[in-house]
Amino acid sequence: MIAFLLRRLGQSLLLLLIVSVIGFAILHLAPGGPLSQFAAGGDMTQADLDRIAEQLGLNRPLPVQYVEWLWRMLTGDWGLSYRDQQPVLHIIASHLGATLELMLTSTLLAMVIGAWVGILGAIRRYSLFDSLATIGAMIALSIPTFWFGLVIIYVFSVGLGWLPAGNRYTMGDGSFLNQVHHLIGPCIVLALVSTAVWSRYMRSSMLEVVNQDYIRTARAKGVPERQILLRHALRNALLPMITITGLHVPTLLSGALVTETVFTWPGMGRLFLDSISYRDYPVVMGILMFTAVLVLLGSLLADLLYGVADPRISRSGR
Amino acid sequence: MNKPSTKASGLALPALHRREVLALGAGGLLAASGLGARAQGKVPPPPPAKPSGQVVVGLSQEPTAFNPLMPGIEVDETVWMQIFNTMWLAQPDGSLVPDLAAEVPTEANGGISEGGLAWKVKLREGITWHDGTPFTAEDVKYTLELINAPGFKARTRVGHSLVKDIKVSGPLEISWRMEKAYAPYLALLSNTFIVPKHLLEKAADPNTAPFNGAPVGTGPFKWGTRTPGDNIQLVANEKYHGKGPYLEKAVLKYVPDQTALYAQFRTGQVDLIIGTGIPANFYAEAVKLPGRKVVKIPSASLEVLMPNLEHPALSDKAVRKALYASINKQAIIDIVFYGLHIPTESFMPQESWAYDPNLPKQAYDPALAGKILDDAGWKRSGSGVRMKNGVPLEFAVSTTTGAALREQCQQLMQQDWQQVGIKMAINNMPAAVIWGDFYTRSKFQSLLVGTAFRTVIDPDPAHRFGSDAIPAKSGNGANQMQWQNAEADALMKQGQETFDMAKRKEIYQKLQVLVREELPILPIYQYAPVEGYKEGLIGYQPNINARQNTWNMGQWYWAK
Amino acid sequence: MSGVPFTSTAEPTLPPAPGFWNSPGLRRFRRHRLAVFGAATIVFLTLACIVGPWLLPYTDTFIDIRNRFAPPFSGPHVLGTDPLGRDILARLLMAGRISLAVGFSAMAIAMAIGIVVGMVAGFYEGALGAALMRFVDAMLCFPSIFLLLAISALISPSVPSIILLIAMTSWMEVARVVEAQIRSLKTREFAQAAVSFGASNRRIMIRELLPNAIAPIVVAATLNVAHAILAESYISFLGFGIQPPTPSWGNMLDSAQSYLTSAPWLAIIPGAAITLAVTSFNFIGDGLRDALDPRMDGQ
Repeated sequence: MIAFLLRRLGQSLLLLLIVSVIGFAILHLAPGGPLSQFAAGGDMTQADLDRIAEQLGLNRPLPVQYVEWLWRMLTGDWGLSYRDQQPVLHIIASHLGATLELMLTSTLLAMVIGAWVGILGAIRRYSLFDSLATIGAMIALSIPTFWFGLVIIYVFSVGLGWLPAGNRYTMGDGSFLNQVHHLIGPCIVLALVSTAVWSRYMRSSMLEVVNQDYIRTARAKGVPERQILLRHALRNALLPMITITGLHVPTLLSGALVTETVFTWPGMGRLFLDSISYRDYPVVMGILMFTAVLVLLGSLLADLLYGVADPRISRSGR
Repeated sequence: MNKPSTKASGLALPALHRREVLALGAGGLLAASGLGARAQGKVPPPPPAKPSGQVVVGLSQEPTAFNPLMPGIEVDETVWMQIFNTMWLAQPDGSLVPDLAAEVPTEANGGISEGGLAWKVKLREGITWHDGTPFTAEDVKYTLELINAPGFKARTRVGHSLVKDIKVSGPLEISWRMEKAYAPYLALLSNTFIVPKHLLEKAADPNTAPFNGAPVGTGPFKWGTRTPGDNIQLVANEKYHGKGPYLEKAVLKYVPDQTALYAQFRTGQVDLIIGTGIPANFYAEAVKLPGRKVVKIPSASLEVLMPNLEHPALSDKAVRKALYASINKQAIIDIVFYGLHIPTESFMPQESWAYDPNLPKQAYDPALAGKILDDAGWKRSGSGVRMKNGVPLEFAVSTTTGAALREQCQQLMQQDWQQVGIKMAINNMPAAVIWGDFYTRSKFQSLLVGTAFRTVIDPDPAHRFGSDAIPAKSGNGANQMQWQNAEADALMKQGQETFDMAKRKEIYQKLQVLVREELPILPIYQYAPVEGYKEGLIGYQPNINARQNTWNMGQWYWAK
Repeated sequence: MSGVPFTSTAEPTLPPAPGFWNSPGLRRFRRHRLAVFGAATIVFLTLACIVGPWLLPYTDTFIDIRNRFAPPFSGPHVLGTDPLGRDILARLLMAGRISLAVGFSAMAIAMAIGIVVGMVAGFYEGALGAALMRFVDAMLCFPSIFLLLAISALISPSVPSIILLIAMTSWMEVARVVEAQIRSLKTREFAQAAVSFGASNRRIMIRELLPNAIAPIVVAATLNVAHAILAESYISFLGFGIQPPTPSWGNMLDSAQSYLTSAPWLAIIPGAAITLAVTSFNFIGDGLRDALDPRMDGQ
């Protein structure tokens, strides 16, 4: 076990290094820079801009800048944002809560609804419900989620007034109920894709389990169908699903970015978008590394859980 | 106390006289009358005795720079104006009123002498910083010196670099000398916020001082809290030296998308939209919203086509004249912008005291454009595109991506020019790319931009039109068109050196005639953005001479 | 975004085929009604987009201000007009050309890169294989939108660069699938037999292994197109996609945002087109997966 973890740690560190090099190169080699926002205003002269560029250390050769960034990173200093000079970790942390809130609630919602739909579909295979569920899941996976979000806002918020048009809470009213009210829209939109994925996987997982010998035996023994489903089949069908969650992290983060944009949710996706627009290099690199760590942790968790769930899986893989 | 100055400050900016007000169009009248307070037609209720209530201001960009001397974008000024003060402030009518200073220095009162080489300012008594420390002339000296300090990331040193020999002669008196007479400095100082010496000098490095994340000033609001990416909350400064504040709390809410911002304004989550404001296509609907007041405000920004004068086709004045004659300005304004903006011929806003209303008016005349091109030797080739000496009349227009209305504008222009034999390609890019080297080093062919051509509130456009201001030619300025015109240079130099307002007006009118003739920029319209606020908000007053219309937020309050 | 990242890595067993149209695989595919529907839809859409613009009375660039914002079915413009008065049906079909072209091209490039990397990694294994797959894993560490956004915000948007960009962010899954397939096929008898003949590595990879790995590759390809079309719409929504005047379904959707209340059809129509196309590709992919992998019977 220890050996496995150590090996994974080593691999992950290597991956993070590669990710950092790729990210750094793309960022810095691309046209435009953190001073573009000031050039647009027209107040600052070229001398002013050049002076600031020099002070930010942007004129040094790229490998030098990279090594310095890496060194500071390794000692725990993720740098300061070019925009508000606050520590990058600070900024990420302040945005993280909002994104986690969204990701967790939508995953829960997706799990509950997706599992229910998938299981029912498996039990009543080829019924109308099943066909509709399958088509529905397909469509849910094919709809651009931002379009779905916009429709939700304009029907339920601007149109009916049932939901707020965005934000995490109404200024001046930060109560729990208010926050939940604001969470409804984005949560549903983010859960759309996850629900579809969950329902399809639950369905195929249930079908696999239901055809197993031990289920047939239980039936033959006269155990009531309901009990079979709930106590035996479900538990075994759920296990592999949980491991999938860890691998779902990148998709969730992607979806969160789009949802946050549509609902002006102050999370990491929003931060990433703004930082890229303003070429706030330290923050962009910080978010890239952070999400890479999250993704790696997710896949590690998935592998561990999978091993726990099914001890037959050997870990001699790769 | 802010005493409205009854006499004109004399120097660079006189009060707008009644005759001039009547000469302006309706837009100018709106500006001069301060629509907000007088719209109801009846006397507004008095302000509350104690600060109460809050206002939520919606911004489509996030303020992130809180040290007013360091680089920032327009929206950062929204914060600076509340937390800090300048020595004097420009009013909507163009006059300067003293704020931290006791009176605005002029040649008449001796504040400015030796033809602009010696300055002396008397400061107001009884002002304290938010932490209680008294405000003195030492703070002003420290501010001016910090700007010029090597290693400090100063936002701009234009004008400030000419300051030397700063002397503090008493707690409220400061004087300095300038290396040369520079009239726009008065305007520049109206946008130079004073920072506290006692806090910043303690920091090891003012660039990264904790002050920059929790600023302390003399303004009507104190720093409250900040939720990065979402909002900034400011609280009333009960010991403010001016009128107000009447609001207990001011919240600056960041909503990145203009359409989403408008939706939140509709549903009441934000009380007020300023800056880029409400998109033109929502104007008709917004005006009819119950409980909301929506106003067109004057702005000094102009939408111009900025050609790169080193481009083979665009360097030819005949081409520019033809381009100008075949832009259907009115159609663009009416169709894309629902008639909101104001067509213009000048690079100065109509409300400026130096504006020349008698410039030749452009008329949409494709036949004339064709004739101009024919006469200049640009003949139509087989494909319909004109050519001269093997050079096709072909160029690209770039603007920032994601600006839907501007894209429509480009497409209309493309179609119009195609009929005259001009091939225009659209080449848009994200803001950070366009405003990078592509812009600053003049690598573009032409740009469609909204920008202003003045130095803060002073009409001097030397940094945009001077031949020594071309960065691509090692100049120091923002003359990205790469315009080099000796007559213009001479005029602008004269304009900078004199403080005589009448003379300056004459100079700048000559300059406008020259620019209109040579067309280093093709002016299309002057912006008339649409801002909106909830009914019941008293005190809101658009000010073309302020960076943001929260310039007097200390005087806002809600009617009960 | 398509949230179906995994294709089956089971070994395909293709029985000797009697004839193409009657092969068991195709018979299963034809039984999968949704997949057939999907295939028909795609064929119809593609034909409509290629031929349609020539048959319509209006072009996609003709600006007719007097008739702007016409709703669908209200006059000569079947699907209405946009804010500049251009015919929406014509724009939709021209945009379809671009979006479908982007989808197929991005898929082609992604498949090319993914197959090469996967094949080399799966065949040679060892240090080279491990290094390649580590690189693939690293690329997969970036959530796809983050990568798309980061790169698209940094380059000048144009159709070729967008195609390249989408391909760059979607080849990794293909490489993974191919690598796993090749690695397992390598140990099969027919592969060992080829080695014993003295066949060159290249010949083995291309002539022996690859054809047997076709099944998951084809499935991956269809899903890749679906993903590419969606990706194009996402980039356009975020503002970095294909620029006007070139229409694409994504940028039509993006510019329709501010008119959602006043002219909802501007957003509904391209959104429906995207959904229809992507759903169809997903159905096809599903059908192919079922058809080519008989072990997943009874689903």
